[in-house]
Order: sequence, then C-alpha cells, then structure tokens
Amino acid sequence: MVEEQDKLLPIANIGRIMKRILPRNAKISKEAKETVQECVSEFISFVTSEASDKCHKENRKTVNGDDICWALSTLGFDNFSDIMLRYLQKFREFERQKAEQNKASSSEERGEVTSNGFGLQPVASASLEFGILEKGGSSSAKQK
Amino acid sequence: MKRPGTYSGILSGGISGRTGPHLLPLARIKKIMKKSNDDVKMITGEAPIVFSKACELFIEEITKRAWNITLQGKRRTLCKEDVASAVITTDIFDFLVNLVSDSAKSEESQLTTKA
Repeated sequence: MVEEQDKLLPIANIGRIMKRILPRNAKISKEAKETVQECVSEFISFVTSEASDKCHKENRKTVNGDDICWALSTLGFDNFSDIMLRYLQKFREFERQKAEQNKASSSEERGEVTSNGFGLQPVASASLEFGILEKGGSSSAKQK
Repeated sequence: MKRPGTYSGILSGGISGRTGPHLLPLARIKKIMKKSNDDVKMITGEAPIVFSKACELFIEEITKRAWNITLQGKRRTLCKEDVASAVITTDIFDFLVNLVSDSAKSEESQLTTKA
C-alpha cells in the first residue's frame, strides 16, 4: 500500500492545481483526481526516460534541467518546454545571485553543498514567482 | 550562526506537505523519476524543480481539456470519463491512452461480475 503511494504525487496538491484553473462552482470527482494523479506519474516517467536515454547516448551520468526541457520539446510539449527553459534560466540566475550574496555577507560561512553537488544555497522564503515569467521575463529576478 | 537547510528541507519534501515555494513535493518527484528507468541514477537538484513546474502545466492542460468536455455534457462536475476523453482526443497525451483505458476496462469488468 505504502509503496503504491510512493509512485504518486499527493492527491491534495493535484486537486489544488486543478481547482485553481476551474470556475469557482466547478466540482471535481475523486476518481477524476485519482486519474490525473496516475497520469502525472506516467508523465514524469515518460519524460524522464526520454531525458535519461539522451544522457546515456551522450555518456553522461546525470540528468539535468536542460535534459528535461529537451525531452519535453521532443515529446511534443513544446509550449511547456519554452516556459521551462525560461523558468530554469531564472532559477539558475536566482541561485547564482543568492550564492554571491552569501559569499559577500560572510567570508566564514561556507556554501552548503547539497548531495547533488550543485552547490545550491538554501532558499529563504523569497519565492521564485512564476509571475516573473508570465509577464514576459524581466532581466532580473525580483525578490519579495 | 548556521542556517537551517531550507533547501534541503524543500528537497526532502517537508513535513505535513510543506513544500516551500513549490506546489508539489520535490522528493516524491525525484522518487518517481528514479523508478522510471534503471539507468536513472543521478539527477541534479534542479531537475525535480523543473518537473514541479512542468507537472503544474501538465495538470492545468489536462484539466482544461477535460473541463471542456464536462461543459459539452452540460455538467458541473469533472469526472474520470472527461479526463479519459481529454487524453484520447489529445495527440500529445497518447502515452496515457492505455492508462485511462485500463482503468475504464477494470471498472467495466467490475460491473459485469456484479451482474
């Protein structure tokens, strides 16, 4: 039972995303949410396999964000891919700025290297607003 | 002063569904990615984050299309069959056709055994 749930994203989160784009009086059946839940997992597997194959062919061991974007585009999710590339750029810029700020603020504090070796700094409550992208992408990420 | 690992907290999926700025738990996404393919051994930290956004877009797309079908049927409750129809009528969702028809078939067989 527990193993099953591990393969799926939480239904509450999925339901929230679904509700967000529907009119207020719209209702969603539990089975519909469950079906979407299964579809999302399949989507992740499908895209990851494609990205992983690409890495394998190029003799790389690690699947990165660009591989995911490439896989999305290859599999027909072109519009997703465009949004994702911009999102990824913003994210990397944001992380770089954060890293520079942290280095400047304290010379003693060592950058926290997470297990992925990306050297990502802890992200504070400042959220990388999706709104930044939807507005057409300004050149600098704004922090709230 | 050592800052708590906020990012590692987000990566681990957080407790009680807290996922930081992301709507979907990154650790769970990472698990699903790893299970998809035996070759997938290493994933950068940004990959689950990219997927978090991609999954949102995916859910929105499938929901929009399913809702159109709900409206065509003059209903206000989005049901499983609407999701299945959305999948069948959208080319890029071809990879899901077996998934939605399998669940429809299992329901059918349940009904026939009851009779």
